[in-house]
Amino acid sequence: MPRLWSCCPRRSWVTNWLRRYDLNLANGAVLLFLWLFFIVFMLYPLGYVFSNAFFTEDGFSLVYMKLMFSSPNNTIILANSVNLGLAVTLFTTVLSLPLALLLVRYNFPGKGLLNGLILIPMVLPPFVGAIGMRQLLARFGSVNLLLLEMGVINQPIDWLGGGSFWGVVILEALHLYPIMYLNLAAALANVDPSLEEAAKNMGANSFKLFTTVTFPLMLPGYFAGAIIVFIWAFTDLGTPLVFEYREVLSVQIFNMVTDLHQNPMGYAFVVAVIVLTLFFFYLSKRILGGGRYEMLGRGHVTSAARPASATMTVIAYAVVLGISALALIPHLGVLLTSVTQRWFLSVLPSEYTLKFYQDVFSHELALLSIKNSLLLSSLSTIIDVILGVTIAYLLARKRVPGRGVLDALAMLPLALPGLVLAFGYVAAFSATPLDARINPVPLLVIAYAVRRLPYMVRAAYAGFQQTSVALEEASINLGASPMKTFIQITMPLIFANLIAGAVLSFSFAMLEVSDSLILASKEQHYPITKAIYALLGRIADGPYIASAMGILGLVLLAGSLFIAGRFFGRRMGELFRA
Amino acid sequence: MTVSVTFESVTKILGRSKAVDNLTLDIGGGELFFLLGPSGCGKTTALRSVAGFYNPDEGRILFNGKDQSRVPPHKRNTGMVFQNYALWPHMDVQSNVAYGLKMRRVSEAEKEQRVRHALDIVHMQAYAERMPNQLSGGQQQRVALARALVIEPDVVLLDEPLSNLDAKLRVEMRMQIKDIHGKIGRTMIYVTHDQAEALSMADRIAVMRRGRVVQVGTPHDLYNRPESAFVAQFIGGTNLLRGTLEEAGDLLTVKTQAAVVYAKNGGKGIARGDPVFCSVRPESLRLTAAAESSGGPSAGATNELTAEVQSIMYLGDNEQYALRLADNTIVRAVEYNQPTRKAQVGDRLVLRFDAQAVVVLPQEELGD
Repeated sequence: MPRLWSCCPRRSWVTNWLRRYDLNLANGAVLLFLWLFFIVFMLYPLGYVFSNAFFTEDGFSLVYMKLMFSSPNNTIILANSVNLGLAVTLFTTVLSLPLALLLVRYNFPGKGLLNGLILIPMVLPPFVGAIGMRQLLARFGSVNLLLLEMGVINQPIDWLGGGSFWGVVILEALHLYPIMYLNLAAALANVDPSLEEAAKNMGANSFKLFTTVTFPLMLPGYFAGAIIVFIWAFTDLGTPLVFEYREVLSVQIFNMVTDLHQNPMGYAFVVAVIVLTLFFFYLSKRILGGGRYEMLGRGHVTSAARPASATMTVIAYAVVLGISALALIPHLGVLLTSVTQRWFLSVLPSEYTLKFYQDVFSHELALLSIKNSLLLSSLSTIIDVILGVTIAYLLARKRVPGRGVLDALAMLPLALPGLVLAFGYVAAFSATPLDARINPVPLLVIAYAVRRLPYMVRAAYAGFQQTSVALEEASINLGASPMKTFIQITMPLIFANLIAGAVLSFSFAMLEVSDSLILASKEQHYPITKAIYALLGRIADGPYIASAMGILGLVLLAGSLFIAGRFFGRRMGELFRA
Repeated sequence: MTVSVTFESVTKILGRSKAVDNLTLDIGGGELFFLLGPSGCGKTTALRSVAGFYNPDEGRILFNGKDQSRVPPHKRNTGMVFQNYALWPHMDVQSNVAYGLKMRRVSEAEKEQRVRHALDIVHMQAYAERMPNQLSGGQQQRVALARALVIEPDVVLLDEPLSNLDAKLRVEMRMQIKDIHGKIGRTMIYVTHDQAEALSMADRIAVMRRGRVVQVGTPHDLYNRPESAFVAQFIGGTNLLRGTLEEAGDLLTVKTQAAVVYAKNGGKGIARGDPVFCSVRPESLRLTAAAESSGGPSAGATNELTAEVQSIMYLGDNEQYALRLADNTIVRAVEYNQPTRKAQVGDRLVLRFDAQAVVVLPQEELGD
């Protein structure tokens, strides 16, 4: 580790302490700034929520907690949310495990294409997919009409009845399984083939091999992905809202944001979300994930993939195409809705039009929201790049005090639902210059930035890690100043990672749901997602324009994931994990 | 003008241990100087301190008597060759080599000429437009060398430059680097753990152990007059016989468990009765049949030890014998270029060696 600036030769405990770190004025100032940022925009809002949940005018009190657990209605809500998270995690696992096994372990023609196909469902926020799903699964929607026409049923089936719980589960599972897949595939690919060969050599058959060696070794990777999926589903706001499934924490909290001052129960609910999230996070990390396998030395890793037989190829295609077809149903519904001129009591629209796409760019709210989102996302991406590169640089290249805490803080947003963050912002910064009800732009930008910071830090960190320090030292040794070295050597070498990270940050910010719904309260500040939600509620052409906007968002996210994938290659899965 | 490098009581603490501990060295201008030692002995830390990547916690490093403490690494004008070469993968060979000149704002024409000349020295002129990943390990190594030399550094620093090459190429490159040193005549500090590399190339060698220099000298000095058992063992390998010093003086007498051993070297500062090691190089041991015994040690000129052959390793140009002495100590002996095998496993032999070949050294704990 180069220490580029000399320090005084005098000895004292301070210099002794300082000597253990690469500290100088610049590093110290940057570190201080980062700490301030995290304290103000992460720890303070969280603390504010906690203190309001546990302190009344009379001091510390558990009255809100009691209130929350004493009402059977509330316990049902809690249970619903946890069940939702667990069910989605289970479904995504069931969907993606066969995909991972097939695609990692076998080579067959068109594998790359199928790999891409699996990722497509990620590109549509599930609450937009819900629009399409509603259209298809409504009482007189396409599915029922088709079944009626074919004579399979006599009465339309109430697909979305029963409180819509399963509707939400299915939609979220179909949206989130690619994340699970990326993690499982990465975990599987990381299992050293020689470990499996050793098991085979000891006499394990394929089934035993999988259950005793392969799967246990995949577990840390599996849980790293599972927890992301769980938290996402557990705190998703958009999908239950569109399905009008109100008996979950997220919707309850959303409804309580507006009257925080009269009804402090919102704080209690948010605390419940945080506590449960942390509980499951801890569970996945420490108890289930273990995560101590990295220290096993990996020998020469050869590809564990083998050519698939004809039957295996057919099976692989059938599984991938089948699951993808299922997952693309909501998208298809949105796409159809967006080009519908007339669609009433028929399986497919009877007349088509592209006018809603024109409307997107002429409709006042739609156009405004696009402009807003572009601005907000660009700003948040710039913040992410600056913060992410700085943090990653300090973590990868410098010995700084509190390194572990800095790392943890930068990764915390992975476990911090957008819902919680946005709620905390609204509450903590009300009646300050940052008050979201007056002008939500600063807080929206910061919320987006904080939420996507882990991706940027990881992308940049991976870049620094791949770039040997010796490359930088060689440059300094030949006379380039540290700054010149950073620009001429380090930057070009980590550029691909930065692009990938920035593209992801930008596109996810564009389609960020819960923070947008909660923080933006006036139409003039609506980002795309909130505009879509607002348009959905309007009669006449609202849902059609919303669908058209959804499709445009889909194209944007698909394009960015494609670009990010190009830069990131096979290690894309490493971004979406805890 | 060549530049001398001085370590003045340099101490560098890394983590909780002293990586370099009170190191004092004078490296003359134009010298090809080696820092040799086992891994973790602090040799790389010392080298990186010269480059300025570490600042000594105590002591100073001087170039031609000028303190470098406050000179940042990019102003030190050292040219370093890194162990993994550290060629920038996004630049082609000539851009890599030209980089240091660019930083020094050398004019285009001169830059081009100097890059060509540097690549010429390392026989890489034909590869100027290749990218580093299109080069073999040995070629990358040459480019790294050219990149360090082209800036005409005051000191060339080489950090185990050959350790990533295969054995044959390594031997070839030793000669090339020594040639280059002869041509450019600049001070070179070369870090390695390979004693053969050091012996074959160095003007002088500092043997390091646990952050300290244990002996400095020419290869010949270190091999023939080691001052410690560690140096004797690390350089060339030796047999160390445990004993106590019985007689000091021109001819030293050491009582080992197996026999009395006479020695004509070492013994400096050792008092009678002190525990000592007798160091005998494997090639000094002559294997003779037990019957040839010439009637006991005469006048202390030759030592004789009886031993049983434990194992024999055939290495083509030589055979390495492991032999067990009467006290169960194992010693190694080498026989060069023997058309027929001298002994079989299990044979009892007499080992003969001159007192001149024995160095008496104070006993110490061995290992890194």
